[in-house]
Amino acid sequence: MSENVSLNPLTRRIREALSLALQVPIEMISEDLAFGDLPQWDSMGHMEVMMRLEEFFGVEINADTIATLTNFTAIRQYLEDNHLGVNS
Amino acid sequence: MNLSTLNFAPAVPIPDHLVGEVQSKLAYVDERIASAQISPAGEQISIDLKQPVAESERSAIEEKVQRVVVSMAKGAIRPKVQVLEDYLDRSTPFVGDPMPELMQRGEIHREADGIYTLGPLLTRLIDWFERRFLDLADSFSAKPYRFPTLIPARYLERVGYFRAFPHSLSFATHLRSDLDQIDAFAEGAACDNHDNLNVPPERFAPIQTLLSPAVCYHLYFTLADQLLPPQGVVATAVGNCFRYESLNLNSLERLWNFTMREVIFVGAKEFVLENRELARQRMQRVFEEIGFAYRVESANDPFFIGEFRKQAAFQSAFQLKYEIRARLPFKDGTLAVGSYNYHQDFFGRHLNIQLPDGSAAHTGCVAFGLERIAFAFLAQFGFDANQWPLSMQEILQ
Repeated sequence: MSENVSLNPLTRRIREALSLALQVPIEMISEDLAFGDLPQWDSMGHMEVMMRLEEFFGVEINADTIATLTNFTAIRQYLEDNHLGVNS
Repeated sequence: MNLSTLNFAPAVPIPDHLVGEVQSKLAYVDERIASAQISPAGEQISIDLKQPVAESERSAIEEKVQRVVVSMAKGAIRPKVQVLEDYLDRSTPFVGDPMPELMQRGEIHREADGIYTLGPLLTRLIDWFERRFLDLADSFSAKPYRFPTLIPARYLERVGYFRAFPHSLSFATHLRSDLDQIDAFAEGAACDNHDNLNVPPERFAPIQTLLSPAVCYHLYFTLADQLLPPQGVVATAVGNCFRYESLNLNSLERLWNFTMREVIFVGAKEFVLENRELARQRMQRVFEEIGFAYRVESANDPFFIGEFRKQAAFQSAFQLKYEIRARLPFKDGTLAVGSYNYHQDFFGRHLNIQLPDGSAAHTGCVAFGLERIAFAFLAQFGFDANQWPLSMQEILQ
């Protein structure tokens, strides 16, 4: 069984979004990943992450929120708080 | 049909906060453009061409304009505007445009677009502001530095400058070290009617150097691959900076070759942010003393179109840049005369500047455009010394 299958759908989808945004293998997207942990997650990478989240979850992320979504946990919390699941 | 104008609607709506930014980028779209305007609501674009062009060419120009619009405006994130100080409504005694009088007095001489010489009045005004900026630097015990006007291409490449600001680069080269080439140049070099130096490009050496666009970069490269002292680094320097602005080059408001004084902080995050804030508070007292009309508000750098949307949104979201915008009464507008900047650990990571604990250093700088602040002062206070703040009247004696 692959690691992905054991994750809940939201976590798996976030990992996919971050992997695509940062252009790194999904195995590098751990649940404690944060801005700056990978060279790819710099300022430009962060905005790629924001745009991928918008695309994946159909949400419009405003400037206030951009500054708070700087790690995996915060992203998941934000999506859960806004009821933005995998079907959005 | 007027073949030297183009009027059309943007391919996507241009939000009001982006109208000025998009309009400024249209100067770089095509060399045949003489001027470009976007209506304040962003629903109409008007392009004046230098001469009439064929219909197919008009379509090509419009297509390029639309590329700019889509790249910058589609999915744009509205910036978070934060005003830290607002003294724009301070009463100041002058309402005219200083440029005609500066020209008439021989105080400025235009050598080319964006290139001016400055006379005694402007020089003394700049010296006065420089003393205030040096006082600010002294208050942080900043170490003085002198940096070159040239900067290696490799340096700018390493910090991603080519992607972020390709439109404003100024390149420096020299003739190839070849006697035949040098002789041929000496024999035949001349400027044509358009002021173009009529020399084949192959006579020049490959470009390895540019004219520096900023002062603080030199310090960061000086500190590259080093371990910082525990107390961090505070430095100050003044230098010539070069940012080509095409059709936007305009009076002393927007120069190609200008001078910046910077106070630069390198250290831990808290160290940089606290000092940036302290610098703002100390300059607030200086501006209050002379009754300067200005506002300090969040801003973004003029990134080129491909990078603009993401970089500008990032700067806004993390409040990385605040501009000092001085009032220009003659145009009922404002002009950025300085900025308070924080780069997070961008330079620390890219240049391997390390804190004692091995983590990447954070950087920030406070920068003042010397020609601009002198120009804004004259725009607010005019040329009659009796109308000037008492502490500045000595300048005219």
